[in-house]
Amino acid sequence: MRRLGDLEAEIMDRLWRWGRPATVREIVDDINHVRPVAYTTVMTVADILHRKGLLRREKAGRAWRYEPERSREEYTAALMQDALGNTEDRQGALQRFVEHMSPEDVSALAAALRAMGRAPGGAEEPGAPA
Amino acid sequence: MTGLLGYTSPLLVAGAHVLPPLTTTLMVGVLLPKALAGSDRAHRTPRLALTAWTLLGVSLIASVSLTALHLLLPAAGSHHLSRFAEACIVSLGAHRGPLLPNGLAGVDTRVWAALCAAASVPAAFAVVLVRELLRARRVRIRHAELLRLVGSRRPGLPATVLQHDTPAVYCLPGRAPHIVVSSGALQVLTEQQVTAVLEHERAHIAGRHHLLVAAARAFGASFRTLPLARLARTEVPLLLEMAADDRALRRCSRDALATALYAVASGQTPPMAFAAGGPSAVLRMRRILTPHAPCSPAPRTVFVALTAVVALTPLVLACCAVPGITG
Repeated sequence: MRRLGDLEAEIMDRLWRWGRPATVREIVDDINHVRPVAYTTVMTVADILHRKGLLRREKAGRAWRYEPERSREEYTAALMQDALGNTEDRQGALQRFVEHMSPEDVSALAAALRAMGRAPGGAEEPGAPA
Repeated sequence: MTGLLGYTSPLLVAGAHVLPPLTTTLMVGVLLPKALAGSDRAHRTPRLALTAWTLLGVSLIASVSLTALHLLLPAAGSHHLSRFAEACIVSLGAHRGPLLPNGLAGVDTRVWAALCAAASVPAAFAVVLVRELLRARRVRIRHAELLRLVGSRRPGLPATVLQHDTPAVYCLPGRAPHIVVSSGALQVLTEQQVTAVLEHERAHIAGRHHLLVAAARAFGASFRTLPLARLARTEVPLLLEMAADDRALRRCSRDALATALYAVASGQTPPMAFAAGGPSAVLRMRRILTPHAPCSPAPRTVFVALTAVVALTPLVLACCAVPGITG
């Protein structure tokens, strides 16, 4: 059972790949190559994406032509900013493996590695258990 | 019973009944956190230290609450409270007789005011905590929604991949947890290192670490002038990272985790914006690379006992100091 969120991703994915505005019919036909999906379902989800501000649309005859508001790269960059940035309202919501550090702190990290007899560049360790 | 709940001595200096909870507030809010933050042993046993911080937090809320109670409650008024307490105990024990001889009307309005003031301290903290939890949840839901659209999966990798050159590894904790790895991170990390970072993030999710982070942040916002609040806000997240490191080390080598830490950190410069996390990463690195012998039982027991005593004493003290009961 596919969730509505998967269909959102499928629609966005196609529009990003095509790089041009497309009608619901075009999207439905393309998804139907992979699996059956109802026209009205795609129409509803496209409308939801439009209301969320992810798609913009313009009238093309009697149908709407949809287009992503921003590129996939822009959204990815926004997520990375969320993940790595230090804005107050983002703190505590995500848990990072390591905080974003200044170059001086990174050198201190390298020094700590060297002091323990490990080369910062050498990632492999012989015979380490996987 | 009356002997046990003996009434306030007339010789008691006015205001002196505020002293016990006030002292415990200072002890828990200022002295103990400084000792705990400066202790090496705390970093050796992060989970134990986290318990100690939690107990200190609870003790502080209790002692501030009792200080408020005692400030508003005049020594004379405390008779009513003690009678109230006595009546409660008696009626609980025997299930008979009226709660108060004169009913609720017999309780002074001033006593009610004091009780309300005392209750407002934990209530205010609860409000800040809930607000903080909801805020973090909102951020995560928004983030997860975009993530679903732009993230991708790779066979054999139990994480969402973001197509970005900067190495980044993080998790979205909560009810629908996600681990996210950037393609840049997958480029700089070996297979063993990827296993290590995934184990670290899984430990955050399994331990529900975001709840303690939220509690520490709420505490920091509620009592920001106290060293306990300031220190807990930085120490608790660091201890959680250490706890996650420890758990990851059960499944991966020290080298893999330490070098992964360096690879991700060094790949993230040039900066977007610095977090104040640099020195703590160095602390973690040293800890990962220095295997200390497992704590021998004796000192460990002593530390557990000391932590418990130190954190619980204020609570017990504060409870015993309810006016009129020890009078």
